Amino acid sequence: MGASLRLWHSWEVEAVMFSNLVFRNSRRGRKENGLFFTSLVISIVAFYIILSLSKQDVMIFLAEMESDAVNKLLLMIPVFYGMTLGILFFLIYFACKYQMERRRKEFGVYLMMGMRRSKLFTMLLAEDFLNNLLALLTGLPVAVLLSEIISLVTAKLVGMGIIGHRFTLSLPAIGFTVAGFLAIKLMAFLILSGKFSRQEIGSLLANSSGNEKKQQPAVVYGIGTVCGAGMLAAAYCLAIGGWAWHKTGWMSLTLLLGLLGTILLFYGMRAAIALLVKTGKANRKLHVFTFRQIQENVIHQSTSMAISSLLILAALCCFGAGIGIASTNQQAGEHVLDYTFRDDHTENPQQVLPNLQAVLKENGLERQFSQLFEMRIGRVHTTENFEDVFQMDSVMESLRRLPPSEKRDILLNNLSYTDFPYLICLSDYNRLLETAGKPALTLAEKEAAVYQDASFADTVSTAMLNEIFSGRPGALLDEDTIYLTGEVQSVNFVTDRSITLSFALILPEQQFLHYTQGDYDTYINGIMSREATQGASLMTAISDLNDQLAGIGLEDLGIEYESYLQNMGRYLFYMVAASYITIYLAIIFLVVANTIMGVQFLMNQQKTGRRYQTLVRLGATYKTICASARKQIGWFMGLPVCVAAVSSLFGVKALFTGLLSSRAQEAQGEMLMVSAAMIFLLCVVEYTYMTAIKRSSDRFLLTLMQPQREE
Amino acid sequence: MEPILNIENVTKTYGNVPNQTKALDGITFQVMPGEFLGIMGSSGSGKSTLLNCIATVISPTGGRIVMEGKKLQSLRGKALAAYRGKTVGYLFQNFELLDNLTGRENILLPTSLHGVPEKESLLRLNQLAEYLEITDVLAKFPTQMSGGQRQRVAAARAMILRPKLILADEPTGALDTKNGKNIMEKLSGLNRDEQATILMVTHDSNAASFCRRILFIQDGVIFHELRRGDESQQDFYGRILKVMAQLGGGSSHVF
Repeated sequence: MGASLRLWHSWEVEAVMFSNLVFRNSRRGRKENGLFFTSLVISIVAFYIILSLSKQDVMIFLAEMESDAVNKLLLMIPVFYGMTLGILFFLIYFACKYQMERRRKEFGVYLMMGMRRSKLFTMLLAEDFLNNLLALLTGLPVAVLLSEIISLVTAKLVGMGIIGHRFTLSLPAIGFTVAGFLAIKLMAFLILSGKFSRQEIGSLLANSSGNEKKQQPAVVYGIGTVCGAGMLAAAYCLAIGGWAWHKTGWMSLTLLLGLLGTILLFYGMRAAIALLVKTGKANRKLHVFTFRQIQENVIHQSTSMAISSLLILAALCCFGAGIGIASTNQQAGEHVLDYTFRDDHTENPQQVLPNLQAVLKENGLERQFSQLFEMRIGRVHTTENFEDVFQMDSVMESLRRLPPSEKRDILLNNLSYTDFPYLICLSDYNRLLETAGKPALTLAEKEAAVYQDASFADTVSTAMLNEIFSGRPGALLDEDTIYLTGEVQSVNFVTDRSITLSFALILPEQQFLHYTQGDYDTYINGIMSREATQGASLMTAISDLNDQLAGIGLEDLGIEYESYLQNMGRYLFYMVAASYITIYLAIIFLVVANTIMGVQFLMNQQKTGRRYQTLVRLGATYKTICASARKQIGWFMGLPVCVAAVSSLFGVKALFTGLLSSRAQEAQGEMLMVSAAMIFLLCVVEYTYMTAIKRSSDRFLLTLMQPQREE
Repeated sequence: MEPILNIENVTKTYGNVPNQTKALDGITFQVMPGEFLGIMGSSGSGKSTLLNCIATVISPTGGRIVMEGKKLQSLRGKALAAYRGKTVGYLFQNFELLDNLTGRENILLPTSLHGVPEKESLLRLNQLAEYLEITDVLAKFPTQMSGGQRQRVAAARAMILRPKLILADEPTGALDTKNGKNIMEKLSGLNRDEQATILMVTHDSNAASFCRRILFIQDGVIFHELRRGDESQQDFYGRILKVMAQLGGGSSHVF
């Protein structure tokens, strides 16, 4: 009895000591290595944000409008989750490796003192578990908060405040976040502890300064650099020239060339840095040392630098692609109309509006609309011909006289197909202009204005036409002379943005009725009344009204309608899908690339810490060695960023060539702004990271200033 | 002649009450210009602490260390850095060459830290390299050199700025007998030809026999002093061995 009690007591004491050790080590780990803990939190946030995508306001809204597309996107989430899992594994792996390298001596001491490997393993596992728990407790609230902020911001940005916000907490997302995070953490831990357990105690105790890499003659590296640069140039050419988009094979070749080129470039970079070591003034403070350190980092880490560089490139390309796709679907028209109705059953076009009003009144919905007005569109029916009904030779002649340009030729070509144009009634169009808050158009009896949908016109050619129309040129409409005047019009005349007119003439009402011979289509545009939108977001208001309209069976009466919301939904979906996914990936890529670089640098600095101590003995001040380390960080992180930035110039350009419509490509200025914003963002991210790494390095160097007794 | 270095009643205590360890317990001695002084003692006797105090790597708890009339404890910032690199040169037991720098770059490291013109430092480099027989390893990295070559490169680095005092911490500690003898010959040659003042800490009696004077330290105090007169190195070595035998573990007090 006494013996077993003693055994129990000693076991208890051991357990308490063990758990104390675990708690203390875990706390020390977090304190000493903020970078490690931060990367854990980042991973958690990243997982949750991608997994909670389906609970985002914009997505909930879109799921009602564009359920097919949204479902397809949501089906992709497991793929993105898997991808994130893979990328974040590297992040966690490097962070854990750094953490363990720091403590290798400590492990050696534990083993020397007779701690069994299994016990050490259990201790580390327990520490790891504690860290994971704390990371989850910190990360999950941050993730939920951030996800809510993103939800609000995207809703505000793309939805223009039309979406009502709901706080959402996605439990499956939390579950998968925890599972994914623990899985990669455990995997990294197992691999690393496997690596460490194979090492002898002696090598754990020794402060190894890293295994030497076999050096090749300088020529090899020179050739490497040249080949790498050549491959990159070839990849750039393929990308820029647009060949890469022709076939999958070409695309693969381009990517392969880019990948290999970057890796070779970094492999050969040591030769270039060796030149920098020699060319610089030797008596500049620690110049040689600084560059030899950079060179050593490049030698040891050339592949991971190349991968970091590629990740940053991927991030930049993601930004570019996201913005590119989003802007392709960006529609110039502002929000003017809420509803457009169409009635195919009523024979007499003049009866369409009264009919609709009657139906709405019958169902008590007439107060929902502050305005309902006709938009009459027709063709020329005064002649049997379908060709050469409209001729504007003088306009074409004026165009031909303009200085030759690609834009002019395209415009000439497009206008040559306008011989049977649509006609729009001026009074209806003016009503639309009034609603849009624009000045009304005045036309005399024999005058007409030209309408071109924004998707067919660009600023340059519109300016050309406006210039010509200011001279009030004559044209022939069914053999009558009319004069084209005013500026080219482009306000969307119905809600549905898929109905567009490439060329139409706006005619005064009498003229319109004459040429159409009373045979035209009538669209009824509706603006919702204040009463309908009061107290609710526009989304809810339109959704409610949609429900009511569906309830009265409008479609059975042959009345079809399209709301601004359905139309917005389509646009929003592309915007959100493109921007959300790409920006998310871009941020993940950036974070992972930078953390890998930072951790690699600090790990190497730790291994070569003695060198700094020697420098101190030789008379280097703390300031001097910090400056040298800071310069090393600048170069070590700057090189991959610079290579990525150069590559991104071509990559993003290639993406724009491949993804953007010709109209969007014309908006060079806008794209330039986008690029500037991207570069700025990159600078901010890099600066933040470098500052964090530099601080970490300064702190480490300060510990080296105190000598340690060694026998 | 004025002494170059004055150590006055220096004490150094590690740790806090009640677990204090007195590494140096009031040591006083002087180093004259051009002298080759050895400090011997067993492990834990305080000799490395003393050397570290002189090298300003640690500061003494009490007493004064005065180098050419300047009190070391009062040195700060630039003056301190200049003292470390220019006034004293340090020779380490493990050479402490930076293994990613070539021999030449290692030797020139102090000149770049202290802004010495390139021309002047190259002249000095060639002179030292020739004397220390390391001309053909200047372009090599430390991993490509033998132990002896490394220590000679380290010696060149310690000498490149013509320091007033060279502090050598067990310079033969990591070398075999032949290379140990070689580096000691070079050091005593530098002492003789360039009047370099050398303060060497060692517990290798063979290495110590190259010195002109030896201080024996035990438990943080100077316990004995030997001066080499006109006697041969062999005889001096014999006398050192005798003192060392007495010193070994404080046997004189026991028996």
